[in-house]
Amino acid sequence: MIEMQKKVGITTTVPIEVIYAANMVPVDLNNLFIKSDEPQKLIEEAELRGYPRNICAWIKGIYAVMLKQRDIDTLIVVTQGDCSNTHALMETLELEGIRVIPFAYSFDRDYDLLKLQLDKLICALGTTWEAVKKVKAQLDEVREIVWKLDELTWRENCISGWDNHLYQVSCSDFNGNPEKFKQTVEEYILNVDKKQELKNSLRLGYIGVPPIFCDLYQYLEARGARVVYNEVQRQFTMPFDTKDIVEQYRLYTYPYGIFYRLKDIKEQIKLRKLDGIIHYVQSFCYRQIEDLIIRREIELPIITLEGDRPGKLDARTKMRIDAFLEMLR
Amino acid sequence: MAVYAGIDLGSRSVKLALLNEKEELELHKFDTISFYRKYGKLTNGQLKVEFEKLGLKKEFDFLVSTGYGWQVINVQRVSGSKNIPEIKAHIYGAVFLTGLVDFTLLDLGGQDSKVAKVRNKTLIDFETNDRCAASTGRYLENMAVVLGISLEELSCYYENPVELSSTCAIFGETELIGKLVEGNSIAELAAGVNYTIFRRIKPLLLKLLSPVIVFTGGVAHNQAIKKIIERELNVKVVVPDNPQYAGAIGCAVSAKQEYLKDI
Repeated sequence: MIEMQKKVGITTTVPIEVIYAANMVPVDLNNLFIKSDEPQKLIEEAELRGYPRNICAWIKGIYAVMLKQRDIDTLIVVTQGDCSNTHALMETLELEGIRVIPFAYSFDRDYDLLKLQLDKLICALGTTWEAVKKVKAQLDEVREIVWKLDELTWRENCISGWDNHLYQVSCSDFNGNPEKFKQTVEEYILNVDKKQELKNSLRLGYIGVPPIFCDLYQYLEARGARVVYNEVQRQFTMPFDTKDIVEQYRLYTYPYGIFYRLKDIKEQIKLRKLDGIIHYVQSFCYRQIEDLIIRREIELPIITLEGDRPGKLDARTKMRIDAFLEMLR
Repeated sequence: MAVYAGIDLGSRSVKLALLNEKEELELHKFDTISFYRKYGKLTNGQLKVEFEKLGLKKEFDFLVSTGYGWQVINVQRVSGSKNIPEIKAHIYGAVFLTGLVDFTLLDLGGQDSKVAKVRNKTLIDFETNDRCAASTGRYLENMAVVLGISLEELSCYYENPVELSSTCAIFGETELIGKLVEGNSIAELAAGVNYTIFRRIKPLLLKLLSPVIVFTGGVAHNQAIKKIIERELNVKVVVPDNPQYAGAIGCAVSAKQEYLKDI
């Protein structure tokens, strides 16, 4: 009989190699929340339990989905490199009897501090460095295929912005089954018509956390613009040439400061020949402040889209997107 | 003689502009809710407007629409029709009405504010208000009701403004009542309300400033706001005739271009 593997919840990308090495399964609660039948209801539930209305919807969604997910009793929470709302999320879940394991990215990308954090995580989950290194090599094979998918998106122009988003964003936990995920992506790539170049006149970059809107990519493509660069989603695929896992999570941009992220964004803007940038910000998120830095640092036209609750794009956002695309033409 | 129609499906009212070959305009305005109720019908996901019921004397050759409505619905073909983005419609309208080619457009409508930088009749950059009804016509309407004065009277005051800290269109009411109780005059309170609008749009204007601002939308009827912008930012503010029709007129101008392109 196959023993059920223990599930561990995560709220953002953490070194999942450690979780798999401990023979456990990571579950990205963001995906669970946004893919649920009624994500709006989850937010309502969190609010009924006392979460304020003017707080990030992702935090509320994660909270409510975690309470429903009775088969997950352990959560790894990023305490440095994510937001302060996450701290309260951690505490409110602890109150409900969930075991919380903190993980902190080092603020200044310090190698030794990060190594120590990995060490503590390895101890907490009861595995070894050797096992972790082995898993890293296995996961890198899966990641390589997703890198290829990304390249097919911007270089060969045969993959939509949504598919690029979806497969890359899934690399935060590989949907709990890296082997199966690898097969799915391989099959997808095989079936992609490489000769059929997608004809979109505008090439866009999407920066910021993944959107809470469900129809952004489709809306853009219906208007002749395609996202050929998904910043954070691409980071989830760890697109770095290194065998050292500590270095890998040091190169990963998302948990570190905006200036380090901008370095990566600027490189990709050039490489992918982008016409404009969508900066997505979540309502009530501190990253809304960083918009001013991004606008000063990036020379391309930028539109800042703000999303609050899950669902379709609202009329006002559509009006702004239309004006932006019109301006780029 | 060919007639071109532009329709702006706004949040508070639907504006219709008819333009003929002599560039003469005919303008109509309908309340949004009753417009949809009386003349609009959704057929196969498209809005069919029963133009014959509107009582217009003229048939038209091409129709261009814009506005909040068009995101969800398409105006069904008349003889030829098209939708254009709102900001584009407003810029076309502003260019047609003022003859200017380089300016900053400020459009304050019923529920939103837009600022666009225009160079050589083309959109260079734009900003919109965040998700809030403050700094829109709706806010002014509410405040005029609280003060017990008409919108026309409200738009006369800009001297000695009372400091209003709340920018929320709803909570602003409470603060205004508090200031009224403190003994401030209606004139000072009304000036305070007008200044609140200016403070909300000031950051947007400063980012995209030009020596000339073309002020459109229903709020452009407010003379006090025009004077405040001129005084505070040291710019020239041009308010065209019928500023609330700029979007519809821009659509009619676009309809003419589309029609002539097709011939």
